[in-house]
Amino acid sequence: MSLRQSMSGLHTWAGLLVSWILFVVLFSGTVAVFDKELTRWMIPQLHKLEQVKVGADPVRELIVERAPKAHGYWMHPPTERMPYWTAGWEPADFSEFQSFLVDAQSGEVLPKTVGGNFFLELHYELHGGLLGLYVVGVAGVFMLVALVSGVIVHRRIFKDFFTLRPKAARQRAWLDAHNVLGVLGLPFHLLMAYTGLAIFITFYMTAGIKVAYKSDMEHFFHDVQGAFEREELGKPAKATKSIDNMILKAREAWGDDSQVGWINIEHPADAAAMVQIRKAVDKGMVNDQRTVSFDSGTGALLHVQKPYKPGYKTYAWLTGLHMAQFGNDLLRVMYFVLGLVGCVMVFGGLQVWVSKREARGHRGVALVRTLNGAVCGGLPMASLGLLAASRLLPAELLQRTRWEATVFVVIWLLALVHALLRRGSRAMAREQFVALAALALLLPVLSLFGPEPGRVTTHFASGDWMMVGIDLGLLLIGGLCAFLGWRLGQERAAPVRERRARNEEYA
Amino acid sequence: MSAAQAGAVAARTLSAVVGGYALAYTATAFLSVYLPMSRPDRVSLASLACFIVWVAAIIYAFGAKSPWRAVWLPAALSVVLGVAAFLPATYGVRP
Repeated sequence: MSLRQSMSGLHTWAGLLVSWILFVVLFSGTVAVFDKELTRWMIPQLHKLEQVKVGADPVRELIVERAPKAHGYWMHPPTERMPYWTAGWEPADFSEFQSFLVDAQSGEVLPKTVGGNFFLELHYELHGGLLGLYVVGVAGVFMLVALVSGVIVHRRIFKDFFTLRPKAARQRAWLDAHNVLGVLGLPFHLLMAYTGLAIFITFYMTAGIKVAYKSDMEHFFHDVQGAFEREELGKPAKATKSIDNMILKAREAWGDDSQVGWINIEHPADAAAMVQIRKAVDKGMVNDQRTVSFDSGTGALLHVQKPYKPGYKTYAWLTGLHMAQFGNDLLRVMYFVLGLVGCVMVFGGLQVWVSKREARGHRGVALVRTLNGAVCGGLPMASLGLLAASRLLPAELLQRTRWEATVFVVIWLLALVHALLRRGSRAMAREQFVALAALALLLPVLSLFGPEPGRVTTHFASGDWMMVGIDLGLLLIGGLCAFLGWRLGQERAAPVRERRARNEEYA
Repeated sequence: MSAAQAGAVAARTLSAVVGGYALAYTATAFLSVYLPMSRPDRVSLASLACFIVWVAAIIYAFGAKSPWRAVWLPAALSVVLGVAAFLPATYGVRP
């Protein structure tokens, strides 16, 4: 067997096996590029931030009120993309991090929503904790293998780049699409797969820390990040000095115009209580935080973290490249478009697998078709449903975030049942497109109503183009899905030849 | 698929998954010990490079001429790297 043949087998089967998980990771990652904008979209009560009137100290009070005995407090001042205070705490029993958002102008606590963060967590751990993290890691390795073997298989990589035959046989058209999008996005996909794996490298590969640090993870992190720690003294804490003053001192210590990022208060109830202030992740690919630590009781500056060393700086650069927090909105639009290219490439690959085996009556075709419908159609539907839920559920609803997640899960399960009943047929695809169109077109309509600050008309008037862009994007998606649904219906009704003739116009 | 073919695919798959990770693991350990840099840099860079090794090993496991070779070469290489990395107990922890 030649190398090309064996790589073809590897590409086909490794690709198929990982496709659905990879689709979920790619799709949620693509959406999560705009996680902060989506969070904003999902809180229509949030007013445009004219002036920050709420400082760090009142926000700290709000956290202490909610969790007087917490293990640690965290807060993040408003930024351009997150125009509100993020506040939260690590509970004393080390359970899940709790957080809430505060209007930086009025000081009011905003309604709870899972926000765009829901897609981010789906992207890196499938909402499945440590197990999910490892599943995504394995999917990442599969993606690298599929990309490398795909390049080896692809004999005419340059020539095929300019080949798209939409009117050719269905199989050939999907193959062309898979190839063109695979080649077009190749550098991006390689880069994202590798840098994505790099983020959680200490979970996936512990050999270096084992042999050079005798498995002492904390020692390693202390070494590379230059963090500063203080043991608890076992005495009660003194009254806290102003954090807002510490912020001024931290900016002096940095000596540049960096914005303030995460602020945390370590063991707040102890005499060793410490306030740590970091740089925001808004400039450059490497954010080495430069944490400045203060004694909470006296306000004295204790320590300024040095810039990262080369090895860890490489890590920070790679992960920064993945997370797309640097640069501007245009850059994120490009990440989003290339992410979509990746999603369609994965789906195209699945279609090639199906169409190659359909005529032969391969046993797996029905299963693959059904999974394609359930995952590649179900996830976008559930995502749109989540956005609708965030706009429709009452703001004061108890356990509101849980309801949002429930809507997401229920819609996805309904899509699975639908795909099973329809056995992944063309009729299923058509009905999915109709449902997607209805959901996507519903959302901009919802944006016309509801709390005034979140209306699309308000955003239009104040020139908030990212928010208007979300509604316009949804309108576009809705229109496209309606068109595709209509076309799939036409295809079934009309004889083959006529269809070809009519489609000339679109080609 | 005949039994011999199925066995060959199973051997290559096993080599790709287990042998490949073993090679990535021992290569990371080896580089974490022997790279001529300070300890945090050695460990950071060696760990970041590990997926290149694993992906290369997977490609090799399926591309090698015979299934036998696909299994023994990565296995032998990881034994060599592993011994070299874990035998000198104190050299690896130098700052």
